[in-house]
Amino acid sequence: MLNLKWGWAALGLELSAWSGAWLLAERSDAALLSYLLLHGAASLLLSLALLPLLPQRLIKPRWATLLLMAAFSYAVPVAGFAGVLLAFIILRVYRRGAEAEAFGSVQLPEFDQHQLRQSQFRHAGMGSFLGNTRIPVQARMRAMAGLQYVSGRTASPLLRSALSDPSEDLRLLAYGMLDNLEKRINRAIDHELNALQAGAAHSGQRLHSLQRLSDLYWELVYHDLVQGDLRQHAIEESLHYCEQVLQQQADNAALQLRRGRLLHELGRRQDAEQAYAQARALGLPATRVLPYQAQLAFERRDYAQARALMRELHQWGALPRLRPVIDYWNHS
Amino acid sequence: MTHPKAQSADIALLLEGTFPYVSGGVSSWINQIVRAYPEYRFAIVFLGSRRNDYGAFKYPLPDNVVHFEEHYLHEATQWHPQPAARRGEAQGQTLVLQLLEAFSHGPSSPEAMAAFEAVARQMMPDGSVQLGDFLYSKRAWDIICDIYREHCADPSFVDFFWTVRIMLQPLWLLARVAQQLLPVRAVHCASTGYAGFLGGLLAQTRGLPLILSEHGIYTKERKIDLFKSEWIRDNRNVFQRDPTELSYFRQMWIHFFEWLGRYCYAHADPILALYEANRQRQISDGARPERTGNIPNGIRLERFAPLRAQRPAEPPPVLCLIGRVVPIKDIKTFIRAMRRVVNQRPDAQGWIAGPAEEDPAYAEECRNLVRSLGLQQQVRFLGMQRVEDLMPQIGLVVLSSISEALPLVLLEGYAAGVPAVSTDVGSCRQLVEGLDEEDRALGASGAVVPIAKPQQLADAALRLLGDSAAWQAASRAAVARVERYYTDTLMFDRYRQVYESALARNPGAA
Repeated sequence: MLNLKWGWAALGLELSAWSGAWLLAERSDAALLSYLLLHGAASLLLSLALLPLLPQRLIKPRWATLLLMAAFSYAVPVAGFAGVLLAFIILRVYRRGAEAEAFGSVQLPEFDQHQLRQSQFRHAGMGSFLGNTRIPVQARMRAMAGLQYVSGRTASPLLRSALSDPSEDLRLLAYGMLDNLEKRINRAIDHELNALQAGAAHSGQRLHSLQRLSDLYWELVYHDLVQGDLRQHAIEESLHYCEQVLQQQADNAALQLRRGRLLHELGRRQDAEQAYAQARALGLPATRVLPYQAQLAFERRDYAQARALMRELHQWGALPRLRPVIDYWNHS
Repeated sequence: MTHPKAQSADIALLLEGTFPYVSGGVSSWINQIVRAYPEYRFAIVFLGSRRNDYGAFKYPLPDNVVHFEEHYLHEATQWHPQPAARRGEAQGQTLVLQLLEAFSHGPSSPEAMAAFEAVARQMMPDGSVQLGDFLYSKRAWDIICDIYREHCADPSFVDFFWTVRIMLQPLWLLARVAQQLLPVRAVHCASTGYAGFLGGLLAQTRGLPLILSEHGIYTKERKIDLFKSEWIRDNRNVFQRDPTELSYFRQMWIHFFEWLGRYCYAHADPILALYEANRQRQISDGARPERTGNIPNGIRLERFAPLRAQRPAEPPPVLCLIGRVVPIKDIKTFIRAMRRVVNQRPDAQGWIAGPAEEDPAYAEECRNLVRSLGLQQQVRFLGMQRVEDLMPQIGLVVLSSISEALPLVLLEGYAAGVPAVSTDVGSCRQLVEGLDEEDRALGASGAVVPIAKPQQLADAALRLLGDSAAWQAASRAAVARVERYYTDTLMFDRYRQVYESALARNPGAA
């Protein structure tokens, strides 16, 4: 109702604006000013009256539509006023026909976002794909079969998470694949243990077996095939054999690094620190040792040291070929 | 060793790789069933892989087994015809081509089943699809070549050729067995697979009622073997391979066993499972829902109830896995769990009670694992044991299997008042936590953990062993549960009805 009143008021004001100017037949500035003011007020009222009647989705932003209508009826006397009214009628009557209920509105269906979002995250995406029970089992089976060509380090956490999947086929496939990964390593361990027990003929062979055993137990840890106490056990075994080799080959830099990492895993940080330092002293490229040293520093909450080590690592990245040579000559 | 022979029998039991040569859950169930119905005369047809894979009988034959015969599917024996060049029967070729055409409509199409039935009938000794033709005829060779060209995704023709041969050959032996079997009034299969094919063929050709009781789901168990197997080759190179596909031959085997299952389901009525999830699986594998049903296992309580009194006051820290040492029992997870158990409780022991002969290579791997984990002092392989002797000495029955149906050992443990820690497979959750409201109200009779998670298995076991009150509560729940739901009398009553209605459908024969 308010609209109607505003509409009548607008019409009244407009009429009075014109009639005033006409009746008085005066050509003074004051008469023009009163006309302009009354006309302006009428334009604004007209816009205000029509605005709520326009389709809501067409009048965004509202103040701009309001100003446009007001400006139009203000700037073009009479025709503008009539034009705004006419435009309003056309918009109400004819446009409504076009948007009549030819199409029912539907809710956007809830698709599974996992299928879209993760495609670029590679393995992480794979994890959520495999773990998503709303995806058809066949698709997940195929995805899992694809893991047979992926490194065990990446594949085994994914497979392990599938062991509790509600689909039995998926569980069993995951189990079979994990079992095969683990069996390969354990078979090699058995082979070397047998060789050791049989009393390897000469010390070279024995040393080789010991190193292989350290490698293999480490492999179980690295590929994430063992957890909890078994992981602990594998680390201890790997360390045990690693140290046996180091007793005879104290200058084996790669094994010193391994020893450092194993000690690090066991939480013996002091010893790990020393082993890392020794590995570097024995000539291992700094790029291989620095990240672990930085990790140790970080764990000790020695952030300044961690930052310094990372910066050093960064410098190494600049001249990857030449750096080891410079380093070598600097050391010697 | 001479086996009983007869002119006729009431019920033919078709058994693949189980009773009486192999001990285990299914075998002792069969032993129970046969002995429970002295009024019926049973004929047992045992199907095995090769004679050498089996030793002597693990169970004496009950008196009401009037007939016993055994056949070995992968044994090159006299039933092979002499190699000789031959053209092969044209009619047989037509039937096989029709079957291949029908398969293109999908395995569940009625055309495929009808065409397969036609071929199966002709595989019997007087038919037109003969083993000699399959092995040596030009026509069979042409068909194999065509299939290879059209369908095979693996480049090796040689592997394809031999896979087809090895896979299909036993069917002719079974067709011969079906024709020569003594007259019986009903057939009872304990699995699908080759035994199921034989059952289906007997039902198809002689019109006999076929009862199917599946403990595990055969196709599922074959899948486990096939997923794990290392002997199936994949010759595709990096350009031919779709990394998301399993090797072609692996899939071929899986489809083959799925199809044998479908054929058996098409002829069996009733199709019995041990619990609901397996029944659903049978339906999804092609069984008609109105023919399916569940009959859970049951045990004789009187055998175990006296053992409860022999138990020490405190639960002994002994975890016992009772079962065959085979991959499906996942003994390795139990051994790995023992590493943690022993770390936490150095006085704990892990016993593995069950025969190790069935898969010597796996048993060796298990022993090696014990060594590499340094558990030689704590984990013992006891071999086959009398369950009654074990029960009073152990604190927990452990089941680490990756697939089970309704394991009898849990029930036996329950009857003796021993709680269980089991993996969440088959109906184990139902056995431990209860099925419906009423059952659950009895309380948990142990703990359930996911498969292949040794850490969780160990923790669950440690919790029960470490808390005497919790252990006692679980023990009480175990006894109550088995007494209420899993006695053999319940099971025998249900099977009596099954047998009576099957025999009533075919009263005339024998």
